[in-house]
Amino acid sequence: MLAFTSLDAQAHAVTQGDKGYIQEITGIHLLPFVYLGAKHMVTGYDHLLFLFGVIFFLYRPRHIGIYVSLFALGHSTTMLLGVLFDTNVSGYLIDAIIGLSVVYKALDNLGAYQRWFGFQPDTKAATLVFGLFHGLGLATKIREYEVSPDGLVPNLLAFNVGVEIGQLLALAAILIVMGYWRRTASFWRHAYTANVAMMSAGFVLIGYQLTGWAVAS
Amino acid sequence: MYNANIPSPAELPTSGQLLRSTAIAAAAAAVLLVTVVLPAEYGIDPTGVGKVLGLTEMGEIKASLAEEAAEDARAARELPVPAIPAPERRSDASGSPASSLVSRVAGLVVSTAAAAPPVPAIPGEAGLAATAVAQTAKSEQTSVTLRPGEAAEVKVRMRQGARTDYSWKAEGGVVNHDTHGEPFDAPDKTLSYRKGRGVESDQGTLLAAFDGNHGWFWRNRGDKEVTVTLNVNGEYTDLKRMK
Repeated sequence: MLAFTSLDAQAHAVTQGDKGYIQEITGIHLLPFVYLGAKHMVTGYDHLLFLFGVIFFLYRPRHIGIYVSLFALGHSTTMLLGVLFDTNVSGYLIDAIIGLSVVYKALDNLGAYQRWFGFQPDTKAATLVFGLFHGLGLATKIREYEVSPDGLVPNLLAFNVGVEIGQLLALAAILIVMGYWRRTASFWRHAYTANVAMMSAGFVLIGYQLTGWAVAS
Repeated sequence: MYNANIPSPAELPTSGQLLRSTAIAAAAAAVLLVTVVLPAEYGIDPTGVGKVLGLTEMGEIKASLAEEAAEDARAARELPVPAIPAPERRSDASGSPASSLVSRVAGLVVSTAAAAPPVPAIPGEAGLAATAVAQTAKSEQTSVTLRPGEAAEVKVRMRQGARTDYSWKAEGGVVNHDTHGEPFDAPDKTLSYRKGRGVESDQGTLLAAFDGNHGWFWRNRGDKEVTVTLNVNGEYTDLKRMK
């Protein structure tokens, strides 16, 4: 029976969690969407890993501020445009590129581009460009949530505000932990290994998402 | 490392600064946990702040959805899977739990039709034809009243390919709906034909994708009582409220 292939495994198709909640509401719910945006960022390990790589060798608050703002500018732009224009990009491919951004940043931190090619690609531009891809990933997640068209734009802006709040919260936690770490004598010995481990995690994300893409299509 | 500017010790935070930051972070996390995360995730709101922020409703909806999913899973486990399609089963009059006059009449109609020619136990050409005779030209109206947060389901039995026209209207507010069906031989599976949120009325034709229970699920997420009135007309049996 062909019809059965499209059956949900759950009677009444009860969707739980954040998606279930979003599917039950209509209209403007600003603070719940701020919360969901912040939650998405704080629990989104791929974004956190990239952010970790970006600030790994940044010490001055001004530098951290510039890079994080560029990342935020990138992901806000594509997140809003992606949802409003209903981009139909495979979430798996976008998430594989996000994994690639982690690998790229780890190699950048290791000085690989200078060693291999004799020049340093613009780190600010790279942060902005990968920010654009992270935003497309966020847009894909929001589209999966099936937000009601009623109140979509205000809710989306609220979600975006939440993403930035979540990013600041996560950043604060990362910076405190790194503050302790940077003060230890072994930081410079471990920094290399940490970036290699981060690169490895990036490769895992790429493989995980590409496999998902292959299995789904 | 090629790329890094090694900072002077003066650029690093002092131990005192770090400890203070850690204490502030822990305190902020504790406040967020109690006022934001617990209300939004579990509907637990010890301070009342979550309600003011509108987050407690999110937690309550999540909790009720989780409860319903668990209930559905339990019901599906306990429900015996009928060996033969249910309309034929109804011809065994003694064993049919006729819960309403409507379904009793429907049962008689089906059993009369089914008893006349020898009907195969499995759905086949003859079985479908017999049921099609029994299911022509039925028309009924029913209504359910939903308190805020309450949900109801009204179902009909339909054979694969049968058509039923329907229209419903909510009075006193709007409802979320899911027009869907569950096959007799896999009652824990569901197929959604049409869904909507905050809708006042809907109409259409239900074209059964399989032998099974098909119908309408409504939930009132508003803060006032809503009455939904449903009209159906087509090839079905046993219009009744499931929950």
